[in-house]
Amino acid sequence: MSHRTGTALAAGAVTAIAFKVVVTVVPRPAPDVVWVITSSAIGLSFLAAGIAAWRRWPATRLCWLFSIAGYLWLLPNVGYLPYALTFTFAGLIVNAYTAALAHLALAWPTGRLRSPFERWLVVVLYGWNIGLSLGTAFFAPGCRTGCPSSLLLIHPSAAINDAIDAWSVPGSVLLTATVLAVVVRHWQQARGWSRHVLTPLVWIATAVVALSVVQTLNMNLTLPFSQFAIDDVAPLILILGPAMFVISTVLARTARGAVGAAIVDLEPGSSPGRLRDALALAVGDSTLQLAFRQPDGGFVDTTGQRLNPASPGRGRATTPLAGPDEAVLIHDETLAHEPQLVRLTASAASLALEHSRLQAEVQAQLEQVRASRARIVEAGDSERRRLERDLHDGAQQRLVTLSLALAMARDLAAKAEPGLGALIESASKEAREALTELRELARGIHPAVLTQAGLAGAIQALAERSPVPTTIAEVPRQRFPAAIEATAYFVVSEALANVAKHSQASSALVAVRTPPGRLVVTVSDDGAGGAAPGDGSGLRGLGDRVAAAGGVLCISSPPGSGTRLEADIPCP
Amino acid sequence: MEPSAAILIVDDHDGFRAFARAMLEAAGFTVAEASTGAEATTAAAAVRPRLVLLDIQLPDSDGFEVARRLSAQADSPVVVLTSTREASDYGGRIASSPAAAFLPKDQLSGAALRRFLPQDPG
Repeated sequence: MSHRTGTALAAGAVTAIAFKVVVTVVPRPAPDVVWVITSSAIGLSFLAAGIAAWRRWPATRLCWLFSIAGYLWLLPNVGYLPYALTFTFAGLIVNAYTAALAHLALAWPTGRLRSPFERWLVVVLYGWNIGLSLGTAFFAPGCRTGCPSSLLLIHPSAAINDAIDAWSVPGSVLLTATVLAVVVRHWQQARGWSRHVLTPLVWIATAVVALSVVQTLNMNLTLPFSQFAIDDVAPLILILGPAMFVISTVLARTARGAVGAAIVDLEPGSSPGRLRDALALAVGDSTLQLAFRQPDGGFVDTTGQRLNPASPGRGRATTPLAGPDEAVLIHDETLAHEPQLVRLTASAASLALEHSRLQAEVQAQLEQVRASRARIVEAGDSERRRLERDLHDGAQQRLVTLSLALAMARDLAAKAEPGLGALIESASKEAREALTELRELARGIHPAVLTQAGLAGAIQALAERSPVPTTIAEVPRQRFPAAIEATAYFVVSEALANVAKHSQASSALVAVRTPPGRLVVTVSDDGAGGAAPGDGSGLRGLGDRVAAAGGVLCISSPPGSGTRLEADIPCP
Repeated sequence: MEPSAAILIVDDHDGFRAFARAMLEAAGFTVAEASTGAEATTAAAAVRPRLVLLDIQLPDSDGFEVARRLSAQADSPVVVLTSTREASDYGGRIASSPAAAFLPKDQLSGAALRRFLPQDPG
């Protein structure tokens, strides 16, 4: 639809307003005020809905159907003018708006009638209404308020006119019921977005039909409603149609917002299935499918079903997504009438998929970094073990042998040369001290006791060497993977070293617990507290070491209340 | 292996064995040597030493396992574990082994070993 269409619709609406003013002001006596307001509101609401339809669904004919209904509602007002010609014309089209409303309902939401039957039905509806009006024009005896006579009047006869009214009732009821039945059938057959936009129509059509039935019966029977209520107020129910459309337009804007919100609300790394569900809910199309190209060239949706985007099925349409995933959205074809919503949905889906892909990449890289960090720590531990063993097998052995040799030399020299014996004893002492220092160095590089006796023995050794009296509350005797034992050992070692250096504690407590899948090491003291994780490189390094094993290091050290350090390490 | 040997030195380090042998022989002991756990078991059965000075770190098995095997023999010898490391480097393993004592290598002497043989100083 072109911009010219919009201009024409707007011009038509302005003209209709001017027309309504003329037919209100000119007639004497003036029309009833309530009716003027009611009829103006109804007619103009349809014209406004026509303009809204042109803006929202420019590819459909709904704008014309709304506008025609509005014109056919307003045009009979020309009958208020004091001219026989206008009076006769108004009489012919006085009920044509009901056919226009039925046409609109049958063509909803695309503006096109779905079958030859429906096209015939619409023709019959227009013909039936105009035909009945012709009958009235031929035989109605005229009104009591001094209105002009119909130019088509053949034989004024109240009896014939009443007979036409009475006999028209079954036909009108049949046609109305048929229209309602077709609309309900449309709703039943609709899926996804179509059903979403058809649901309010069913309710409105039911209400309008009810009004029509009441008005028809009121012409022929005595109903307990006032004429004013039925003829002047009840027609306001017709505004429901345009109002529904305006509301659904607002909801469509809300749907576009909902798509954005759905993407924002998606948890990071959500599955494509979750993405589909969120989008389907946001756009109101429960049949929405999200499908991905497979290595074999085919497509599979989020439930694992294979499908062909090139032929998505009757009433379905395919929208490709941008990005490297070669994904497509398959949705109700009528959703194409909301092009902005489809574009936004496709963009949102592409964005979410790209986000998931990037997150998966980052996650994979993070896993690689974690694994690499763990390998680096293990390699470091392995190298420390090798160094300690080399010192033990090499330098320490040689120093031991040297000590023994010096001891023998001292014994031999002492008998012959006491001075030499004393000198050798001095050398022997130096050798023993060198050996002691080398042992400490080797132990610092890697504790042999950890390899020899496991965590229980190693922690026992640490507790025994600690200058602050240390109690071991519990330590499992079992062996754990070397990397975990080493991490737990260094936690206890560093913590007890800190207790000795900084805490001014009188005692310390060590516990190692093994809840399912974890190893929890706790070292606490009764010292001054006030330690922070960032204090010194020791605790920071320890935190890194625990993190490398996939664990967490927590330090609680309120001033004056001691320090509690806990390492929670995953343990298979 | 001398049938009358009183002490069996089990250590894979040649230099240590040589100096230990010299030191202990100078102290009056008869000494035999083995460099692996398997040799130690065989030598102990053949030589029947009064005392075995057993290095914990051996190439084919550790000293604790060899101590268990030696203790299982009839008329088992006194086993003294030794190492360049300290006893604390082995946690509670020394205490739970059948060995009679632990002697750091650098503290080896005839007098030190004689303390573990109170019944027969020679």
